[in-house]
Amino acid sequence: MDGFGGTTLRINLSTEEIERTPTDPELARNWLGARGFVSKILYDEVPRDADPMGPDNRFIVTTGVLTGSFCPVGSKVGFGCISPATNGHADSSMGGHLGPELRYAGYDLIVMEGIAARPSYLYIDDDTVELRPAGDYWGMGSLELEERMKKDLGEDFQIATIGPSGENGIVFSCITHDFGRQAGRCGVGAVMGSKKLKAIAVRGTKSLPAHDLESHWNLTYDILQRTKTHPNMAPWQKYGTAFFVGWSNERGCFPTKNFQETYHKDWEKIDGERLVEDCLVSDKACFGCWMNCGKYTRARIPGKPDTYQEGPEYETIALVGGSCAFTDINHVAYANYLLDNIGMDTMSGGSTVAFAMECYQRGIITKDDLEGHELRWGNIDDFEHFVGMIAERRGVGDTFALGTKGAAEILGQGTIAFASQAKGMEFSGYDTRWYPAQLLSYCTCDIGAHHSKSWTITTDIELGRDTIEGKAPVVIYLQHIRPLFDTWSCCRLFWGELDVTPEEHVESIRYLTGWDITLDECMRVSERVWNLNRAHYIERNGGPGRRFDVAPARHLDEPIPDGPAEGKVVGRENFEAMLDDYYANRGWDRNGNPTREVLEDLGIGYAADNLEKLGHLGEPIPGGIPKVRGQKLKPKAM
Amino acid sequence: MVIYLRSGGKLRDRLKPDVDIYTRKVEVEGTPTLKEILEQLGIPDGLVAFAFADGKVRRLNYRPAEGDVVTLQPPVSGG
Repeated sequence: MDGFGGTTLRINLSTEEIERTPTDPELARNWLGARGFVSKILYDEVPRDADPMGPDNRFIVTTGVLTGSFCPVGSKVGFGCISPATNGHADSSMGGHLGPELRYAGYDLIVMEGIAARPSYLYIDDDTVELRPAGDYWGMGSLELEERMKKDLGEDFQIATIGPSGENGIVFSCITHDFGRQAGRCGVGAVMGSKKLKAIAVRGTKSLPAHDLESHWNLTYDILQRTKTHPNMAPWQKYGTAFFVGWSNERGCFPTKNFQETYHKDWEKIDGERLVEDCLVSDKACFGCWMNCGKYTRARIPGKPDTYQEGPEYETIALVGGSCAFTDINHVAYANYLLDNIGMDTMSGGSTVAFAMECYQRGIITKDDLEGHELRWGNIDDFEHFVGMIAERRGVGDTFALGTKGAAEILGQGTIAFASQAKGMEFSGYDTRWYPAQLLSYCTCDIGAHHSKSWTITTDIELGRDTIEGKAPVVIYLQHIRPLFDTWSCCRLFWGELDVTPEEHVESIRYLTGWDITLDECMRVSERVWNLNRAHYIERNGGPGRRFDVAPARHLDEPIPDGPAEGKVVGRENFEAMLDDYYANRGWDRNGNPTREVLEDLGIGYAADNLEKLGHLGEPIPGGIPKVRGQKLKPKAM
Repeated sequence: MVIYLRSGGKLRDRLKPDVDIYTRKVEVEGTPTLKEILEQLGIPDGLVAFAFADGKVRRLNYRPAEGDVVTLQPPVSGG
């Protein structure tokens, strides 16, 4: 099959059986890859009552149709499972080189089930696929282990690892690769750890068959020529995402002190300019990328060893730097290293520590709970000690190992009000109280709160931050176009930043695969995935769907105390009105349940049958469902 | 005074380039700040993350000089 490695691996970790099958052409065409593959496989295979950390959950490593191709930038690899944080579909991706390496070894998809009898790692060297013992590696930090395995196996192996956090089942554990690229969200590292899988090592030396290689390359060459002189390329190359801090502050959406505030008065001490001036060692790029937005840095703190890490990027600066109230970029970079090496998502990890800091501020946890330590805003020693407590699940660290929602449910005392999460996954680095579309995006997101599926801060600015009018259809459009890149397994930045159009990506797919495919068809796949994930979530968690689209009380009721967004808050009435609008525009009923009409229109009528059996199929919509669900932002006339 | 503003992405639509596909020639009076120039062009300053001129970050209080080429960096999120 042109455009694909050709082989799917099925591995039962309990029995150590490894099965090779040709990658299913129908699966490839209907679901495109990565996020799409994950959605379909989880829906079809995982029992609805399966424990996310148990043997029946699947752990999926997957590429997409563009992985390893010339199309900019097919660097991504996806991981999927039922999330221990949300109890729903999880897909999380990362750049680097692992995805292309897998394809060059001939594999599109690896589906694992069961639990290994002993700590193991998956070894792939072209046609050799083995589960090997990882006893010597168990307990090692993610970054340390990658270095060690490169020494043991060879520099040309691409390695993905988990740290102690994943081994110990912390629900926001990540998977690390290339010394700082992470599949961070949804707790995919915890599920990998639950399978007793410490690492994946891949070397591939084959080629990817292409339908029309010359046209595929020529298109990429045109894009290369065009984008290397694009005006926005140089700033990206110099600062990466970290330049965003000042803007976010001035717009009143920078999370500060666990989202109590949205303006960090010392932001200039932790922004991108400071990072480049104080910490930059070198730029870093993923496979096939000429943007090199990654920043490899050194953190220097008196009394602590120097650390080297990739980042911090914007999200880490926001959720570790801002939300924990650090005032020194070296401290943020050091915290970045700690979380990376221990194997925690810096976003949920930073948010969980910030949440604990607010609990400490309010006296809900005390020094007695913290082994005699404090947990003060902006204190790197307190941060380091507490992260260790979580990673080893010592004392109250065991409670916070469940993330902010899980911890709030144990702590009580109204703490759930300031746990900034949706469906059990922590918000990305944007406060939503002056950004209603972003709040809607977080709370309806199929993997829990995450900006990558729909980022609407500038949409809110364009349409007006004090209104909810017209926001829902744009959120839906973004929830289809942005995750489409996770399905293709391709970086979004060349689209969002450098004017490479989605149509050009599809053209690239056509040359690669020989498929007669259009952007409309791809968008339909993306909508299919969104709806299947919704049905799956309702089936697993017992609908109706609206019950799960819940915003934290802080973001509904608590006006921002000061800064550029002083006094702003979305309000419950506005939020509920946005949900009504959102469901109507999706072709779902007022309870947030997908209707048969929309599911059948997307070719997943079987999900309607399943929802109907459970009593959670959406009521038919009078007048029928919208023909087109979602609408691209139309900027106001100037 | 003449300056040149450049950008891509959504900002390019707002900027209405007239020199090449990314660049617009702008004539201003006096030495206004970038914020004031954006206002004159009807571009919400919230859509500009920062400006970039001579290889350096410039904030919106930057006052361009005659002939300056200033890149407007739109905020984007999530690769």
